Amino acid sequence: MTSIIKETQSIKEAVTFINAIDVNKFSRLISRIIQKLHLKGERTFSEEEEEKLQAALSLEKQALHLVLETSAFILEQAVYHNVKPASLQQQLEAVHLNPDKAEMFSQTWATAGPELVERLKHNIFAPKKLEFVGWQLNLQMAQSSKARLKSPSAVLQLGLRSEDSEVQENVFVEFNHQELLEFYNKLEIVQGQLDSLT
Amino acid sequence: MSLSHTKDSSFLGGRIPPEIESLSKNLKDVDQELFRKILKAVVGALEGKDCTEVMKSIAESSPIPQERLSHIVAGMYRLLSEAIRIPTSSLKQEVFKEDLRELRVPDDFITDFSSVVFGNRRAALEAATSQNDPHLPTVEDFKWRVDVAISTSSLARALQPSVLMQMKLSDGTSQRFEVPVSKFQELRYNVALILKEMNDLEKRSILQIQD
Repeated sequence: MTSIIKETQSIKEAVTFINAIDVNKFSRLISRIIQKLHLKGERTFSEEEEEKLQAALSLEKQALHLVLETSAFILEQAVYHNVKPASLQQQLEAVHLNPDKAEMFSQTWATAGPELVERLKHNIFAPKKLEFVGWQLNLQMAQSSKARLKSPSAVLQLGLRSEDSEVQENVFVEFNHQELLEFYNKLEIVQGQLDSLT
Repeated sequence: MSLSHTKDSSFLGGRIPPEIESLSKNLKDVDQELFRKILKAVVGALEGKDCTEVMKSIAESSPIPQERLSHIVAGMYRLLSEAIRIPTSSLKQEVFKEDLRELRVPDDFITDFSSVVFGNRRAALEAATSQNDPHLPTVEDFKWRVDVAISTSSLARALQPSVLMQMKLSDGTSQRFEVPVSKFQELRYNVALILKEMNDLEKRSILQIQD
């Protein structure tokens, strides 16, 4: 089994620092890191928090960064290869991480790992994602150019969310009976394709 | 008792618009040729075409004073747009002709009006006039793709299917978005539900009543 952590110079350095940290403090650190792992580009700790950590862990700024980055890297590798907790523990001990720290990594991974993998599987790659479907069925009685209509008309509300925003964009689309039927037939074809995958 | 006294009010409703009321008076001395020229221009206008050139040439070549001409055009335009609004299932040709007779429009002109409202250009006229009505965008083009993400930068083995949709709407905008499989099921279910409700609605008696 290929090792997911190669013992580079920077890993060796990080391991030395990590081994010196108190287990309980480190445990809380790792939990926080794994929680934020799916958010690309966001800092795990604010400037303030990092300063507090430097004091609490007796680490210089650069050393702290190395510890944080390496811990995140270990977890990212675990996710990418979807390793088993036991295997992770073994591999960490192989790069000379203390058994108590290795076990701690492994335990955190065992608890929070599966959920993280699921969340990452659903991470979108397209600019927008459909999050909400709403609709309204109306009976149109008349309009400026047409009297005495009585024509059913459906309005579909599609709530789209962009990858990096919390705001949902609403798209409203109108269908008459024929148009909706045609749309449905196309959805049925898509369903057929999805069914053929299983 | 004469039948005409028990007839319902004209297709124009209780109050006849003034430009139509005065139409018969304004159409005196207008020969069929001129009438047909004006009619053609008015129909063109209803279809959304620009009629300034045509109207200019009519105004220059006819003995009718411009003010009377504009009243005639207004009356004809109004008459035709009101008639086209009402579905042919509600307004029958005979009733339309009868209403025009009551307005004292000459018979030849009634025939010409009638052939516009009930002829084979009717559908095109309806389509043109309804373009200006307010409505939400409709789907003009719908493209889709089913993908399976084998591997991503975060996961070596993802194996996650997803649907990618691209909708071009009638207002010119285009939306491209991903639909997770669970959301797709929800969309499909809801569309089926709306279709069922539409069917139920169309069967109900309120829609069967002819007016």
